[in-house]
Amino acid sequence: MSRIVVVTSGKGGVGKTTTSAAFATGLALKGYKTAVIDFDVGLRNLDLIMGCERRVVYDFINVISGEANLKQALIKDKRSDNLFILPASQTRDKDALTQEGVERVLKDLTEDGFDFIVCDSPAGIERGAALAMYFADDAVIVTNPEVSSVRDSDRILGLLQSRTRKAERGESIREHLLITRYSPARVASGDMLAMEDILEILAVPLIGVIPESGSVLQASNSGVPVILDKESTAGQAYDDFVRRFLGETVPHRFLEVEKKGLFKRLFGG
Amino acid sequence: MKEQIIDLKGEMSLLTVLVLYTTQIQAIREALEEKKQQASHFLVRSPIIIDCQLLGERSLELEFAELKILMTQVGFVPVGLRNLWEAAEALAIDAGWALLRPSKQQVTPNTPPPTEITLEQEPSEAVQRLLVLDRPVRSGQQVYCPHGDIVVLQHTSAGSELLAGGSVHVYGALRGRVLAGVQGDTQARIFCERLEAELIAIAGRYRLLDDIESNLKGQAVMIYLEQEKLKIVPI
Repeated sequence: MSRIVVVTSGKGGVGKTTTSAAFATGLALKGYKTAVIDFDVGLRNLDLIMGCERRVVYDFINVISGEANLKQALIKDKRSDNLFILPASQTRDKDALTQEGVERVLKDLTEDGFDFIVCDSPAGIERGAALAMYFADDAVIVTNPEVSSVRDSDRILGLLQSRTRKAERGESIREHLLITRYSPARVASGDMLAMEDILEILAVPLIGVIPESGSVLQASNSGVPVILDKESTAGQAYDDFVRRFLGETVPHRFLEVEKKGLFKRLFGG
Repeated sequence: MKEQIIDLKGEMSLLTVLVLYTTQIQAIREALEEKKQQASHFLVRSPIIIDCQLLGERSLELEFAELKILMTQVGFVPVGLRNLWEAAEALAIDAGWALLRPSKQQVTPNTPPPTEITLEQEPSEAVQRLLVLDRPVRSGQQVYCPHGDIVVLQHTSAGSELLAGGSVHVYGALRGRVLAGVQGDTQARIFCERLEAELIAIAGRYRLLDDIESNLKGQAVMIYLEQEKLKIVPI
């Protein structure tokens, strides 16, 4: 049975697609057969972050409308045999998504033996986001340390508890909070909400804190999920997050202001 | 002392209620103009309900058509009449007024709240008297218990809304809106462990967070109505 995980946030630009790409890649590298689906129909991005934009022939909407089968549309990742990407359509919009269509694709993926299906939700609370979360077993809520992002995440948490199949059956989705773009220095100076404040407002178990890092942008632009950048703090934090998701106990890192040593101060770094 | 002509009351339905003390259209007009000078932004295009309870049988003297014209001229959007003397109802309807069901809470100016409590109607078996929530109430969620109390065992978020016919208890931070006694029960109270609410209201009397004394913010408090005023006390 596949485990369906939605990566969602409410607010745009907080790192959902970056997280979906890193998360799916991390799961695949740990040996799990993983599919990642871009639900942002009309604003296709996941293929770029995954570096497979030149290999898109068929997309999610083609599969839903029966113009292609799942095998034709799934793109096998260059770096891992366990990872498959189902890109969004760029020429259609979210109205092309249907609940029956999404359900059928998820069912087919489950029958194909996928361990994890990661649903990369679009921003907002409309159709695309609603369908991305509807069938989920788990939700990764991506939040920036900023009040509007936290409030939008709170709204999404409310929807996860009411507008999902699990909720309708009286069960509940497992919720995991992932804080991204966290800058301990800016928290210390009072520009940013502290992790504790976010947890206090949202009251959801924390699964990871990804520090603000230039390597995220670099990774996006070069089409390599940041989790593959073992040198960067963001890459390491994403790896910790995946391990926690799989049940390991991993202490949180990168929460304190990094103290520069004399050597670093003299020579930069 | 000047004779009181009208009384303006704010209620949580975001409708203004105009309580009439007289049937003299001209006197009402003058009084309204005066109010308008004091708070013109407040009156512009506000929906308004006219309460006729204090008029009693004098309602028969009221020129309903003129009253309606007056309301529009002054800048209100007339919604309807309530607590109208029964014999005058036909006149009002002829003049194009809507009649609203009488409010449970009686208009009694400058008198203490009634000490006698009489049940207006026998509660039916299906009525929910208590709603207990063990999860946080999130932004955008609305919880409504029309005839009972709401108890939240966690916090409520900014942008959430609790509406209870009775009282509300929040065992955590109260950050959203909370309206107790929404059916007009002035005995309803609000209790919370940390007051950070955007808006609090009991039986239509409301206050915003900005109006709350800063020493009460973040405190465990009880909120109740005393002489038409919301009282917030630490507990």
